[in-house]
Amino acid sequence: MTQSGTVEHRSAKTGSTAIDRPFWTRLASIVAGGALLAIGLRKRSLGGAIAAGVGALLCYRGLAARDRRGATLESEPLESEPDGDRRPDARFSGAAPAVERSITIDRSPEELFERWRDPDTVTRVLGPVVDVTADDPGVWTWRIVGPFDRQWTWKTEVVESEPGTFIGWESHDDAAIPSWGTVRFRSEPTDRGTVVTLDLNFDPAGGALGDAALNRVGIVPATLVTKALRRFKALVETGEIPTLERNPSARGYGDLV
Amino acid sequence: MRALCWHDVNDLRVNDVPEPEIVNPRDVVLRVTKTTACGSDLHFIDGYLPTMREGDVIGHEFMGEVAEVGSSVSSFERGDRVVVPSFIGCGNCGYCADDLWSLCDNTNPNPELQEPILGDVTAGIYGYTHAFGGYAGSHAEFVRVPHADENCFHVPDELDDEQALFASDAWATGYMGADFCDIEDGDTVAVWGCGGVGLMAQQSAKLMGAERVIAIDRFPERLRLARTEAGAETVDYTDVDSVVDELDARTGGRGPDACIDAVGMEAHGTGVAHAYDRLKQRLKLHTDRGEALRQAIVACRKGGTLSILGVYGLMDKFPLGIVMNKGLTVRTAQQHGQRYVPRLLEHAAEGEMDPSYLATHELSLEDAPRGYELFKHKKDGCVRPVFTP
Repeated sequence: MTQSGTVEHRSAKTGSTAIDRPFWTRLASIVAGGALLAIGLRKRSLGGAIAAGVGALLCYRGLAARDRRGATLESEPLESEPDGDRRPDARFSGAAPAVERSITIDRSPEELFERWRDPDTVTRVLGPVVDVTADDPGVWTWRIVGPFDRQWTWKTEVVESEPGTFIGWESHDDAAIPSWGTVRFRSEPTDRGTVVTLDLNFDPAGGALGDAALNRVGIVPATLVTKALRRFKALVETGEIPTLERNPSARGYGDLV
Repeated sequence: MRALCWHDVNDLRVNDVPEPEIVNPRDVVLRVTKTTACGSDLHFIDGYLPTMREGDVIGHEFMGEVAEVGSSVSSFERGDRVVVPSFIGCGNCGYCADDLWSLCDNTNPNPELQEPILGDVTAGIYGYTHAFGGYAGSHAEFVRVPHADENCFHVPDELDDEQALFASDAWATGYMGADFCDIEDGDTVAVWGCGGVGLMAQQSAKLMGAERVIAIDRFPERLRLARTEAGAETVDYTDVDSVVDELDARTGGRGPDACIDAVGMEAHGTGVAHAYDRLKQRLKLHTDRGEALRQAIVACRKGGTLSILGVYGLMDKFPLGIVMNKGLTVRTAQQHGQRYVPRLLEHAAEGEMDPSYLATHELSLEDAPRGYELFKHKKDGCVRPVFTP
């Protein structure tokens, strides 16, 4: 499969999981919620009020899910972002990233670019979920350890890089968990530092089941990207990452949520 | 070690928990010498704030003695006696550089829990909800303090523990609330609430030059402290038909120049609006009982300042039209303690202000659940229980 073909395949896959399945889920939620609401409102009792409340909540969830999805699809970042924020590599421009977030860090783009090329840094900012090691320049092995010590490992390769500006990577074709991502660095016109934009994608086999398996080991893309950027900022600005490691409680040691 | 832990709504217990350790090189571990309850603890104890977990060690207002020192800590060594603000700053981000420490970008380990609700991430805090960091609290024999050079402050030898302890939160918060009011000679400042923060706000407003301070509460012993310790005039809101009318009458029809809310989301009141708030909060249809805040907005003079120190959730029925049409300036924040603690310790050392009267009940850590009962229900004249681990 060519690289562009890979991207197209992922785009289509994103479409099937992110659009069709939520539609039926939404519809079911709205229908069930509407029925509960109607039944609940007819019964003038506490039970009826509770049923109506649950029904209203289900309706709201159905409608709100449509809004969220709509917002995701409409906020096609490559169409709406200013020229300076576009990815330089056209191979990445065909797919709408599943999750993309930005943060401003009080360091130069060049320094941040170098820090991100260090697999130790990426391992630290991805927390206990993902471990990254370098095999060759630009070729990294990613490892996730799940429940019962089950492991997934796969390799990625930097396919596009521009010092101080952009790094794009993709997994090899035989990857257990196909993944790809970009990180971009753009200097702010004021002296606020550098805007870092991260786009991380994981595409597990098995569709929804694969997604669920990833969630179970702690990979929720939106959460992971938010957390990774925050941790990256803390690491480069303070030299430390805020942590609940060995945090005491009546549950015992550690509190890594 | 022993620690006071949250187990469920209104269920606090003292448990054996592991001792904290140095995790990052800028950490210290303190042996806690004094730690006190704060009114904001009551919000998660009563179940109004989400993201608590069973077994969390609570407490965020404390002082102690340095027991262990991380390899990158330069200003402190074992045995130093220090007081620590409740919000954790990193000292390196733009917010810390601007002296806005409770907005620090780099100390909340759980940004993903907070950002979807707040739209951004605040500093972490000890012994509070996981959305605000989930750090183990100070109601314990030991506590880990990250970024110690930024967050620990040496306590002068001449000060008693109780003179320094409240600089950790109640005093710093109240002082900040008065500072927000940009007090000028001749100003009248009204303060809702005569708990620890309210009393500190009143006393600080006087120190900053307010001609009159008017304190509003319903507990006689707290109103007495407002008069005797803060030099305030007092209003018992259960004795008047309308707090707003009373303040209007006392200020020549103008209203106070600045109003400070030191009450927050569990306000009490006497009117229909309060009854409605209470019912709605009980049914989980909203998060806040906002009667004190609404009174402050209506009472404040045109062009005046509204300083909000109370903790709120996602409040509804916030009369923004009144704020807008009266041209009020709203200032609010969680406390930026690191900005104020050195000044507060100086005030105490110079004899200009002494907060130690807040410590109405000295208890052991084992007695902490009882201390919170006294505190929550204002029994036995309790303003602040202080625990010695």
